[in-house]
Amino acid sequence: MPGVASDSGGGASDSGGGALVPFNPEAQVAVVYPLHHGLKPPVSRLSISWSRGNTLRVSVFCPEPSVDDSGDEPGGKVVEVRLGGGGGEISDAHWRRIAYGSVIPFALLQSKKNAALTLSKMSMNSSPYNVDWLEYVIEYSKDINLLLGNPKLPPSPAIDDPKSVLKKGEEPTSLKAAWELLEIFYADKLSQVWLPERLVDWLADYDCLLSVSHSTVHSKLLSFQGELVRLQIVEDYPKYWEVMSSALAVGWLEIVVKMLRLHGSYQLDQLSNRETENGLVEAVAVLISKMPRMRPELESGKLGECFKTKPDFMKAWEKWRAQLNKLELSAFWFQCSHQQTREGLRNMLQIMLGNANSLSTATFNWIELYISHLLYIRPFTMGLESLYSLAQKCIQLKPMAGAHSLMGLIIGILGENSEVVLAECSRGFGPWMVAHAIELLTAGSDHAEVLLHQECLNLGGISLEELHRLVYAQVLSSHALTWQIAPIYLTSCMKQGMGLLEILLSKQPVQHNHLLLKNIEICRLYDLDSISSSIMKISGVYHWKHGRKDSGVFWLQQARDEVQLNRIAQQLFDSVGKTISDESFKQWEGLIQLLGSESKTAGGLEFLHKYRDFKKSLQQVCDGKTTDAARQAVESLISLMKNPSTPQRFWLPLLHDSLKLLNWQERPLLNVSQTNLLLNKLQELSLARLRPDFIEADLPPEGLSSIRLALATNLGRAFLEE
Amino acid sequence: MAIIGTQESPQVYRLPQYRYVDAVRWLPPVSAFDRFAVVAYYDTDAGSPSVEIHALNPNPSPTLTPQSSWTPPSRISSLRTCPTPLSPILAASTFLGSLHILACNSANGAVIESEASVAELGFHAGPVASVDLRDGGSECVSVGEDGRVNLVSIVGNSSNLNYRRVFDGNGLVGYTAVKWASPTEFVTGCYGFGIHWWDQRKPGGPVTQFKGNWSQGKTSGIIHSVDIHPSRKHTCLAGGSSGVAFAWDLRTPQQPIVLSGIETGGAAIHSLSESEVWEVQYDCYARSSNISNISSSRILPVMMCSEDGILAVVEQGEEPIELMAEPCAVNSFDIDRQNPSDVICSLEWESIAILARP
Repeated sequence: MPGVASDSGGGASDSGGGALVPFNPEAQVAVVYPLHHGLKPPVSRLSISWSRGNTLRVSVFCPEPSVDDSGDEPGGKVVEVRLGGGGGEISDAHWRRIAYGSVIPFALLQSKKNAALTLSKMSMNSSPYNVDWLEYVIEYSKDINLLLGNPKLPPSPAIDDPKSVLKKGEEPTSLKAAWELLEIFYADKLSQVWLPERLVDWLADYDCLLSVSHSTVHSKLLSFQGELVRLQIVEDYPKYWEVMSSALAVGWLEIVVKMLRLHGSYQLDQLSNRETENGLVEAVAVLISKMPRMRPELESGKLGECFKTKPDFMKAWEKWRAQLNKLELSAFWFQCSHQQTREGLRNMLQIMLGNANSLSTATFNWIELYISHLLYIRPFTMGLESLYSLAQKCIQLKPMAGAHSLMGLIIGILGENSEVVLAECSRGFGPWMVAHAIELLTAGSDHAEVLLHQECLNLGGISLEELHRLVYAQVLSSHALTWQIAPIYLTSCMKQGMGLLEILLSKQPVQHNHLLLKNIEICRLYDLDSISSSIMKISGVYHWKHGRKDSGVFWLQQARDEVQLNRIAQQLFDSVGKTISDESFKQWEGLIQLLGSESKTAGGLEFLHKYRDFKKSLQQVCDGKTTDAARQAVESLISLMKNPSTPQRFWLPLLHDSLKLLNWQERPLLNVSQTNLLLNKLQELSLARLRPDFIEADLPPEGLSSIRLALATNLGRAFLEE
Repeated sequence: MAIIGTQESPQVYRLPQYRYVDAVRWLPPVSAFDRFAVVAYYDTDAGSPSVEIHALNPNPSPTLTPQSSWTPPSRISSLRTCPTPLSPILAASTFLGSLHILACNSANGAVIESEASVAELGFHAGPVASVDLRDGGSECVSVGEDGRVNLVSIVGNSSNLNYRRVFDGNGLVGYTAVKWASPTEFVTGCYGFGIHWWDQRKPGGPVTQFKGNWSQGKTSGIIHSVDIHPSRKHTCLAGGSSGVAFAWDLRTPQQPIVLSGIETGGAAIHSLSESEVWEVQYDCYARSSNISNISSSRILPVMMCSEDGILAVVEQGEEPIELMAEPCAVNSFDIDRQNPSDVICSLEWESIAILARP
């Protein structure tokens, strides 16, 4: 693989000793899962196997019960243990929602990609990645980003609380923060010019995520906000000034201005005797709100002046700096009697003037320091190279104890190290993140594209991209509710996808028709006829075994499995021979209807259809109907006996049932040739009796002889008639 | 998450539930101001099923607020609601083969007050496929793939249940759907696009059987849902595999009227979908101008939902109207009898959709 991580991974690999991502063995504390099996000790045996998802199935067995034990105690119990559940900032149900929501953007992007590829092949263009393509990618990224949470602010109250400086929105997640980082650096190439400002916004949104494990500007602000309600004269407290300079250092201008206006000199009763002081405070507040910013626009409520092009911005920046310098050197400072105000304000001016020491004291970790450098020391920074060296410098100045997954990701991105980015995505955010972030990486970085699309021999000839999609598809497949979306990802894998899809579909349970039909529907979508017919066969046999003959036959018919149909036909005949009496006939009606008249889909069951017709007309004869009915019964009998699908063991019972027809009073119903046919069959039977697999028909002892007699009589009468 | 379309198309609100939705129904209203929906959930994380009544707050966009909940012994296979003079009742059947009748509190209609069940061995072998409550809620019919057809009579304050077996197919025939046609008649759907018509006055078996001769060989399928319009008791509507929706008129039993799906002898039928039609219902929300034109031989407008995510209204011989096209399956839906413009659907991806038609 190109690029060895240990010498280019920077901060990430320093502590890891050559590993792509630092691995902290201390973090792997053994977790104990208590089992509640409720059995009396001792337990004689344990059996452990994987269940669905990441649950373990533990079977607990008691020792063999002795004879005198009462039989109430169960002999064992099966319990399921969920591993690793409960942890993480995103619940399983929420992950599933993300999985559902990302299907459409992913599928849309793949289809556009395929269309672009065919187009580029046709027009012989070298690369499918053009400007249009980037638009698709940014659209995709925006869709996914929306899915990860919408930091909707509650409607702002009609009366603004002057003492609440931080706005409360939806709790942001690291996952969204990470996705936005990838979007900023890889997808949104068009706004790369405003990269530093986008990072400022990013930190403003997600600084609170770092507060969990580190002290941050956000955490300081939050704790000061709590104190603020109780404070009378804020400017006397050093913390007021500290917090403000920290917020200023990371560019949260509106917060700083709002806090400055809490300064005591604004109060009407004090305005007259603190005029100079108030003038200075207001001057700083105005300068802060006039800060030039290199960005296309600002959200409402945010402060600063926007400039879209670099020359305009540089001009405005110089002018603003000159104003800062002028205020710094102004004589009014000597007239300001309030010491804290004087020092606090001058410190803020130093921050804006880019004094490295002031910035360093105002910030709490390297990323904050980094943002403050971008804002005040290197406002004209462009390009990743200088960004990376600056980041390294900041890490040296303010190293972070314990790696945060977001920090690792930033370092990987700034270092243009795709391996680290991938590894951090995988470690911090799991297979979903990797499978979806790959689209951004390949679009945004040539190096990543080569890395991800290269076929690796050690992966069995598949690319890293495919590997990660397969891994994600496996995760989806392991859950009863998400397996249905795994095919979308599997079919985007050129080499192994279809094979795994076939396995996935064949392994789904067939017990319930609804699930089975959903499964077959997927087979239909991907033209997997052989899979669907094998699923139907399995289901047919399953239903058959569980006594649902109707659905068993239906599914076997759908699968066109004649072999199996013939086999179950033999079983069915057993019960036909015994139970087809007039009372139970209605039950058979439904099944016989299902079989239809086409012999092809019915297999050996075609016999049943004819048998039903025969029984029906025989029934009419017994009810005392006319000779016509008897004639019809004879026709059915002859066609049954002629038909090769009529099982041999039915011959005798059939003949026995039709004794009444053979001995018809008025005139013989069978002609000579028909009687001969029946006699031949009888002859065949007596020969077959010698074979070992012959099944003796269940007839009264004199049955056979009475049939013989009836046939002989009929033959004689038929001769006379002709 | 509202998708607002053009003036003609309905407003669709999707409400993620974070649990699998097994079934969903409107609850007949008790008062004019409250609206409730019954939802059968299955929580895969906890492995627990539940039946919950939710209040629907329509403004500004619909939200569901849980009111009361009941835990069934296993997942719900079929759910029906029915108004009674006192309060609405629910019938829920499970995959374990039990049937439960829940009565709601008559004061506010949204609290499950009592529960009675038939769960003894031999009621059904295996899952109950479908249930239906007779008008007035005094009787419930249940069918299963085991071929059993049972009538459960609900006596008194719906805490006392007796059942009697109408028919036992012994697995030779299995039923997948059921619907009352009149106080004594009901229809059942089965394999091979079969429909059986039953009349309690003629016991012993189905009175009439319909077997679609037009569905030969591979296109054969299963009926998933049947419906009968109270004003046209002779016509049975059915939906099933391969995108098929058809009506079967008792007066012309040999010839089904195909509304969607299979083509019959060259006649072009608008085919909305090729996958399973999970539910069909007569759509009583027809424009007033249309309703006068509909003769008694014409099939009333029909709403159907399908595995490929389509919810649509089809009318005999007319272009179908697609109300919603989802990326995932629409497993069931219910039209509010009192406000037929509103439809509630359960979606495969653990969510509920509520449609408000203009």
